Amino acid sequence: MAEPFDPALYVPQAAAALGLPLAPEDLGDVIGAFAVLARVAFPVMAFPLPEELIAAAVFVPGERTCG
Amino acid sequence: MSVPTGVCATAAAVRTGERSAVEVVQEALMRIAARDGAINAFTTVTEERALTAAAAVDAQRAAGRDPGPLAGVPFAVKNLYDVANIATVAGSHIDLDRAPASRDAALVRRLAEHGAVLVGALNMDEYAYGFSTENSYYGATRNPHDPARVAGGSSGGSAAAVVASLVPLALGSDTNGSIRVPAALCGVFGLRPTFGRLSRAGMRLFAASLDVGGPFARSVEDLAVAYDALQGADPDDPACTTRPPEPVMPVLRQGFGGIRVAVATGYFSSQGAPEAFAAVERVAAAVGASQRIEVPAAGLARAAAMIVTSVEGAELHLPDLIVHAAEFDPMTRARFLAGALVPGAWYAHAQRLRRWYCQELTKLFLDVDVVLAPATPYPAFPIGQVSIELGGQQLPAAGHLGVFTQPLSFAGLPTLAAPVVQTGSLPLGVQIVAAPWREDLAFRVAAAAEELGVLASPSPIAG
Repeated sequence: MAEPFDPALYVPQAAAALGLPLAPEDLGDVIGAFAVLARVAFPVMAFPLPEELIAAAVFVPGERTCG
Repeated sequence: MSVPTGVCATAAAVRTGERSAVEVVQEALMRIAARDGAINAFTTVTEERALTAAAAVDAQRAAGRDPGPLAGVPFAVKNLYDVANIATVAGSHIDLDRAPASRDAALVRRLAEHGAVLVGALNMDEYAYGFSTENSYYGATRNPHDPARVAGGSSGGSAAAVVASLVPLALGSDTNGSIRVPAALCGVFGLRPTFGRLSRAGMRLFAASLDVGGPFARSVEDLAVAYDALQGADPDDPACTTRPPEPVMPVLRQGFGGIRVAVATGYFSSQGAPEAFAAVERVAAAVGASQRIEVPAAGLARAAAMIVTSVEGAELHLPDLIVHAAEFDPMTRARFLAGALVPGAWYAHAQRLRRWYCQELTKLFLDVDVVLAPATPYPAFPIGQVSIELGGQQLPAAGHLGVFTQPLSFAGLPTLAAPVVQTGSLPLGVQIVAAPWREDLAFRVAAAAEELGVLASPSPIAG
């Protein structure tokens, strides 16, 4: 299934929302870097997690927060 | 020039008065002056401070007091550690005019309190966002085994300085593999402790929910004595554990009997060159690891780690990205800018997934104690190489170096990266991974494998 998302449209708009200027010479590389993140985010977001699973405020591996 | 020795041998010689700390440090300074030009590991040499500190160690001994288990041991730190009176640039050009640090980072203080002597700061990828130490402003750190190749990163200066015997001990930091990758590519031992084990106070962080500091050395014992000196609670780092120190030196020679060692398969036995997997098998055979285990959702963990890293790193530097993005290293700029644009839901979901993943790995460690995995998918590649072909696929040469390290640090697991004895090739490493807070088990397996002759830090031909 093709992804309808277009990083070339998203990146300039999201940067504007953040007040983050993007130099024209950087734009292509930033779009490329965001496309990589979007690609890896797809399976992460598709992975269902129960509502009660909460992220730790301070990450402590292997103890109560992980058990 | 006399032959440099390791951490324990140097400290023993200084403690018994066989050598003076000043003499040891002067020799280290001479080695750096003579040989660092070819490697580019150091960004600052703290000569005056080092000689003053060494004289203080000698004075302590002369007064009848024990200067400590690291007496007179020269060490250097990745330049994201605060060093008093020096600007902590963290590999950046932007921060050259940053105010000098008012005091040393906690881990620098800990080593000094145990008698070690700081001799300088070391090169890294800008703000630790890289796996190759190809820094556009300070130059690439060169691999001492082949100066045309990368040292790995982002703690490349630390690994290169140690394997070239400029110093026997260095500190680096590891977010997604930045200790383990350069340790493997340079052929030294490097420790990523359990997340929260060591204080990060006075370190400039990259992605705070993943970052740890840790040591590099050329033997397991040298790594262990440094690690023990670094432990201890610190209220200045909210992530630092309040558990009492759990020294590994007393258990180092207990062998691996009773430790269930398994080899990670599936994800960890693909996406790499055959020699990377052969190196793991060599260690597995030596320690009798017949069990194979699959780390669940390792690829998903790596993906989530990438999202978490990009967001935390970009947020930390957002004011600079807004005002002067052009001054960022071209090697990191686009990735920092892209990270600033990640939707919040991606980050929050990735952090929740992390907790699920951590629970899964906790279950895995019910059946095994230590897991072996490759440290990198291939050995050091030529400086400047952008992509690499693997299984008919073009991959980012530096980015793919973290394929085997990222899923493990995402769960905060302690991992000892160790050089596997090879013949006629560039160094390659194995990750010796334990359950959270069980560094002792990783150290025991490493020490036994070193005694069996399958782990050793190879000396560079020119070194």
